[in-house]
Amino acid sequence: MESESFSIVQQNDHIVGRFTAMASPCEILLETQDLILANHLTSLAYSETKRIEQKFSRYLSNNLMANINHSEGQPAVIDEETFRLLQFADSCFELSEGQFDITSGVLRSAWKFDGSDNIPTSETVKALMSGIGWHKVKFDKKSITLAKDMELDFGGIGKEYAVDCAAKLCSKYAPNLSVVINFGGDIQVTQPRKNKQPWNIAIESPEANKATTKILQIVSGGLATSGDARRFLLKNGKRYSHILNPKTGYPIENSPRSVTVAAPHCIQAGLLATLSLLQGANAESFLHQQGIKFWCYR
Amino acid sequence: MQLTSQSNLTKQTKKITNVNSALAAATCALLGSASVVQAEESVWEMDTALLYYGETDRVTAVEGVFSAKKDFGDEHVFSGKLVLDTLTGASATGAVSQPNAQTFTRPSGKGQYEINGGDVPLDDTFKDTRLQLEAQWTQPLWDDMRGSAGVHFSKEYDYLSVAVNGSLARDFNQKNTTISAGVSLAFDTIDPEGGRPVAFSEMVVNQGQFANDQAYQVAFDATRQKDSDDKNTIDLMFGVTQVINRRMLMQFNYGYSTSDGYHTDPFKVLSIVNDQGVTQSLVHEDRPTERTRHSFYWQTKYALDSGVADISYRYATDDWDINSHTIDSRLRFNISDNTYIQPHFRYYQQGAAEFYQPFLMEGSMLPTFASADYRLGEMTAYTVGLKYGMKMPSGNEWAFRLEYYQQDPKNAGFDEPGVLQQLDLYPSVKAVIAQISYSF
Repeated sequence: MESESFSIVQQNDHIVGRFTAMASPCEILLETQDLILANHLTSLAYSETKRIEQKFSRYLSNNLMANINHSEGQPAVIDEETFRLLQFADSCFELSEGQFDITSGVLRSAWKFDGSDNIPTSETVKALMSGIGWHKVKFDKKSITLAKDMELDFGGIGKEYAVDCAAKLCSKYAPNLSVVINFGGDIQVTQPRKNKQPWNIAIESPEANKATTKILQIVSGGLATSGDARRFLLKNGKRYSHILNPKTGYPIENSPRSVTVAAPHCIQAGLLATLSLLQGANAESFLHQQGIKFWCYR
Repeated sequence: MQLTSQSNLTKQTKKITNVNSALAAATCALLGSASVVQAEESVWEMDTALLYYGETDRVTAVEGVFSAKKDFGDEHVFSGKLVLDTLTGASATGAVSQPNAQTFTRPSGKGQYEINGGDVPLDDTFKDTRLQLEAQWTQPLWDDMRGSAGVHFSKEYDYLSVAVNGSLARDFNQKNTTISAGVSLAFDTIDPEGGRPVAFSEMVVNQGQFANDQAYQVAFDATRQKDSDDKNTIDLMFGVTQVINRRMLMQFNYGYSTSDGYHTDPFKVLSIVNDQGVTQSLVHEDRPTERTRHSFYWQTKYALDSGVADISYRYATDDWDINSHTIDSRLRFNISDNTYIQPHFRYYQQGAAEFYQPFLMEGSMLPTFASADYRLGEMTAYTVGLKYGMKMPSGNEWAFRLEYYQQDPKNAGFDEPGVLQQLDLYPSVKAVIAQISYSF
């Protein structure tokens, strides 16, 4: 059964495992000719990714996330992994001075970035603002308490987290193998290839409002992209990006269309990319200050 | 414990410019792993420590340590260390207690000191400052090998030690097995205050029998050799480290050490007693000029869910007939993510050197070598202690250590004539060790 959920293809000098998860095409590139090993590693990555998706997706009705989001002001029981993710989200909230907020997902009911001109009314946005504010959330190792009108959304970190978890599993099982985990452009390379050559990875790059493919070379570490050229609203000539400011309820202005960042870990790269978008016009100078490699597209 | 966000949105906090390093730390906490990619620019890791060691009524030592380490990339690592310590207080001379007061000449020949009846003869002029410098360079060599080379320099008022070392290590079996071999060569020079005593020469004590100071000095000088002496040591070490499973690591070492030269302690004497146990004279000790030692060491580290257990055993044997067993155990408990406590227990037991004598009998033939230094006698010793460490939000770490140490010398089967039976010839040595360290 499970072998039907992913595929394995042998290439020249590596093997590719493919599956779909988290609404993204997922690829595992393995520097080996051993099909059994490749099959096993892909299977590990697949089940780990599905496990994370099942647990944290806010589109499912009877998982941990639903339990938290429908807790009606009561403490909801959490486990150790959730606690670590909440602590990480808490660090991101502080580092971004409140701009990265995993309670801001409620704004999505007002903002639908479908390329149309459907700008929500200020009353609609205002009504949602009381449900936003990470500082109002209380949590400890055992439980989390949200106010009644609040919701959590790990959408901003979930896929990158899954990439890192899958990479960690592959490293553990095959410590001497170079493996690329690529979930729709969020990438982690477990270690350099034997010949020290970079992996060539095709990622979607937004150009002139249409997606093209660009080849990126990566030796080791993580890579992530934030921003999406196809998700925006356009009204009276003004372009509204899909990056929302949790303090105002409105899109951040003058932010790049997309930012790609290289960092030791995928989730770290993803957060740096997202935090830079939240800087709006100052995205590039923020990225320069971090002393990292990045690609910014406006 | 209830955690809530620390941020206050109405308060404009200081702009955090380098978000990346804080984010890297948060990422490692989330993923429970170290970064898989080497940092672009590594920083110097510094350690400082201040240690106090105080024996009851005897030696007090204060030691400051500063060490620094830097990875210059691709596992090319430099480490350096500077140690400065001062020792003051009294140390055992080797002479036995007597029911009556005893008078001793200071090792320099200048002056005397008196020990009350029943008291352990201690020389209270013990005072020294030691400076130690170390530098070590480690880097990968050829395929799968690491090489390391270092120098060591240590200087006291009357002692100089210079050493060089080199070692090679190779990983096997997907880095689960490491074997290593090392060599160290040390060259020591000793030039004690007042000269080195002539073996078994009698301590000259001025009790008015000399016509003048000059006559005393001539008698004292006759017991001394003026020039310095030296000692060369070769150490060889072979080790195997094996990862047993995800939680357990085991290490075996064999060490061979051979030294040639001056091993005698110029400040130690032996009492010559009569069959009533009364001291007739004091003679300077003498030790063999060679010593060869073998040591076997086993260590296991086990990672617990919230800490680390570390236990080791060492057996050492040498051609002076000193056989010793050491059991050392540390158990680290993580109290929280940033704090830990670590109880420590160590037990040590050794047999006496073949030439160890607590005293010599009057009228019997002088042995080839003899020393009454309690450190060469039979003894047990134990250490109990506790360490508390805390990591600051900045990543720097404070640690506090408090330990109690006790040495219990034992009679290695010597009969005690007359008055010696009433006296404590093997007094325990008790010490307190306190240390504060800071890593940044």
